[in-house]
Amino acid sequence: MEAESEFKEYYAKNMRGISGWFKARVYTIERWLYAAHRITGILIVLFVLAHFYSTGWHPGLWWDALLGIIVTFHTANGIRLILAELGFAVGKPLLIKKPSQRPVSIEGVQRYVVVFALVLFVVLAAIWAYYALVVQPMMG
Amino acid sequence: MASEEAKEYVLPPEVLEETMKASEELWKPVRKIKFRIYKYNPRKDYAPYWEEHELEVSRGMTVLDALLIIKGEADHSLGLRYSCRMGLCGSCAMMINGKQMLACQTRVLEAAGSGDVVELRPLDNFPVERDLAADFTSFFEKHRAVKPWIIRNDDVELNNPTGPYKQTVDEYARYYQFTDCIKCGACLSACPTAATDYEYLGPQALAQAYRYIVDTRDNGLDVRISVVDTEHGCWRCHFAASCSDVCPRGVDPAQGIQLLKKLLIKRKFGFKPHKPAEALPAKVKAEKKG
Repeated sequence: MEAESEFKEYYAKNMRGISGWFKARVYTIERWLYAAHRITGILIVLFVLAHFYSTGWHPGLWWDALLGIIVTFHTANGIRLILAELGFAVGKPLLIKKPSQRPVSIEGVQRYVVVFALVLFVVLAAIWAYYALVVQPMMG
Repeated sequence: MASEEAKEYVLPPEVLEETMKASEELWKPVRKIKFRIYKYNPRKDYAPYWEEHELEVSRGMTVLDALLIIKGEADHSLGLRYSCRMGLCGSCAMMINGKQMLACQTRVLEAAGSGDVVELRPLDNFPVERDLAADFTSFFEKHRAVKPWIIRNDDVELNNPTGPYKQTVDEYARYYQFTDCIKCGACLSACPTAATDYEYLGPQALAQAYRYIVDTRDNGLDVRISVVDTEHGCWRCHFAASCSDVCPRGVDPAQGIQLLKKLLIKRKFGFKPHKPAEALPAKVKAEKKG
């Protein structure tokens, strides 16, 4: 009986829960970045826990490059979020709107910041991967 | 005389004919669309179920038009909320093919795209009242929590007003965009943070808090700060920007929240937002009259 009432409450509340974080298909690119930021953040916390257990532990050659992708994405997107949250990239409120006005905070300067963050991510990830896959094995 | 004036405004017959033809074209059935509608009465049903209806739709037909036809001809028990039918009241917001939209402003063919199915659900992250109607009680409680009215300390002026409050166009432009909110709930429904944090104030309430805080007539920053500068306030927003993406009125709540954060950070460094606007002296009005 209790299970039945919980079942009913689940549908009556209609909350998306954690699946709501990753429902990005119908929205803009910022929603994809939000989902990716969440996942990379959780993975970094998991790595740091293992790192605390043994500071000398490293996942290995290709896994090191993957760790680089996770960390550099979180860094580059984090810079974009800091800029947006300090109000630098979201533009000014409008006094006059077009009939089908798209939001300035998404499609204004912020889009350039998205491009900047993605380019920064690719550059940093490439440097990290070069170090992990080429330089580190050479150093032994 | 009146009839002569009226004659001047009658459309020429060829233009009238063309307009009628265009109108007929707009309302002529062009495609058969399948509507998949969410049905659930929490007081009666064990679990939600889907109902399907097929309808011949025209180019001009909105989702609300289609729902009213289905309600009138096929399923009288269908529960939905609507009022103005022109995107001003915000009652008919629902999930149309997985995205928050106003049923009265979305054409069926636009929603269906190249497919032939339109799926309709009640707004995500809102309790279901019945079928497509969502329960807005907590949404309005959150709106009320940020005190969405002008707060002032000068009781003498409030009780015996001597004139209107002074405000320049630049000062007006700071908050005008946010006054367009129709409280349809699309932003809160689209917010990924609201999907897991039930107490999160949400984009609508936070944007309204910003709207009143930057209004120069208002002096209520210190009162509202205890509500917005909290764990479930503006710091929970991580700029997924879906609220602004789905807003049918171009209010851009994501921008409001980020500017609110900026204002709170500046305040921590000792910045004071504005002096409350003064009332224009009554003598100015008297001079103008004279």
